[in-house]
Amino acid sequence: MTAPVAALGQGVARSIALLGALARFSFLTLEAARWLPRAGRRVAFRVLLRQVWFTALQALPLILVLSSILSFLVISQAVRELGRLGATELLGRLMVIAIVRELGPLITALAVAGRSGTAIAAELATNKVMGEINALEGMGIDPLHYHVLPRFGAAILSVLGLIIMFDLVAIVSGLLAATANGMVPARYFDIVLASLALGDVWVTVTKGLLFGIIVGTIPSFQGLRVRGSPTEIPVAASQAAVGSIIAIFICSGLFVFLFA
Amino acid sequence: MTAPLQFEDVALPGLGSRITLEVPEHRAVVVTGPEASGVDALPGFALALARPAAGRVLLFGEDVANLSRRDALAFRRQVGYLPAGDGLLHNLSLRDNVALPLRYGSDFTEREIDGRIRIMLTLVKLADAPDLRPADATDEQRRRAALARALAFDPGLVILADPFDGLTTRAAAELLELARGGETETGSRRTVFMTGQSIPQLLEPRVEVRYRLAQGELVRDA
Repeated sequence: MTAPVAALGQGVARSIALLGALARFSFLTLEAARWLPRAGRRVAFRVLLRQVWFTALQALPLILVLSSILSFLVISQAVRELGRLGATELLGRLMVIAIVRELGPLITALAVAGRSGTAIAAELATNKVMGEINALEGMGIDPLHYHVLPRFGAAILSVLGLIIMFDLVAIVSGLLAATANGMVPARYFDIVLASLALGDVWVTVTKGLLFGIIVGTIPSFQGLRVRGSPTEIPVAASQAAVGSIIAIFICSGLFVFLFA
Repeated sequence: MTAPLQFEDVALPGLGSRITLEVPEHRAVVVTGPEASGVDALPGFALALARPAAGRVLLFGEDVANLSRRDALAFRRQVGYLPAGDGLLHNLSLRDNVALPLRYGSDFTEREIDGRIRIMLTLVKLADAPDLRPADATDEQRRRAALARALAFDPGLVILADPFDGLTTRAAAELLELARGGETETGSRRTVFMTGQSIPQLLEPRVEVRYRLAQGELVRDA
């Protein structure tokens, strides 16, 4: 009779313990950043560049395809439907709120979490299983400096940069869709630019930073949490993706709630 | 003079017994023992990568386990460490693996590091394979690179875990001589502490102090 309640309680307790461990990991990472040795900064910067190459530049084609198709489909439909109602000026708000502010950051962060988050978790878990983390510590090199901080920085830069690219391409793709459906390009730009406020830009940038922190932290945490068995590697990758996606959706929801 | 490495009444994991052991300066010391004897835990205890349930380990007279994380990491840079397996980073070439501790922990310029790496790679006979990734290198090449990395700072104390596993006696002898770093009036230039299941018999004369760990007892070989 009490077994389901006990199981539920254990699940909640495990989740709270996990959140506590994640918070401790984030705190230790931030603290480690304060005493990164001068020479270590150069090493960490090299790792950061490699990670940006993988997370941002290699993901760019995927983001551009997603952005252009999504924007083309939404704006094509919207121009036709809003035109029938004589409300084409709402197209600007639709573009800014739905695509630039909401879907752009959300889809970009989900793509990066799915693509790079799992890779980061799997790579760090493999390093741990292969004894590389232990070797680094034995040599006096902090794995937080060598592995986590560069990935943390690279994830923030990459997510932010990719969101900007997503939004720019979405606006251009929206132009093509609007023009294909009979709208004059100058009118499209007037509507979109008139709808774009500084607040929208800030919300988008803040989301980019926050989603970048999520994608940089949760996969690193999950990757370094493994104890040493190879079977833990896919589990860590999967948990990193699931954890990041949930965190991204929760944050996105909070933004809607706070800035509605 | 204080021994560079001291184990004081250290509890062996999974066993009730404790050991006390000193690694004197300018000596090569080996502790051998079967897999479950606890011998594998000793290098980790020495560097405070793991903490024994009881007792303490002094490294250059300092209980590293009591230092802050930052100080413990800095302290470990005074010691050369070759972990079991090799612990090379698989996304770096052998050259970059050897260079890593220097790039991270010294103020040398890239040119100075390059010069030092070239010497180290020549010493361990890897001058013709510096760009190999660990996955493309042989076991022996990986172990040579890992030793070069351990010696990159020219440390006074070297800790080697299972250093000779899978190596020919000749290669093992070469690596031991490199770890010893030459001879002085008082013994080897470096202090060497090794652990493993066994060492090749031919190398025994080059290891001044040999212990065997069996059933929780540390016995010194004659």
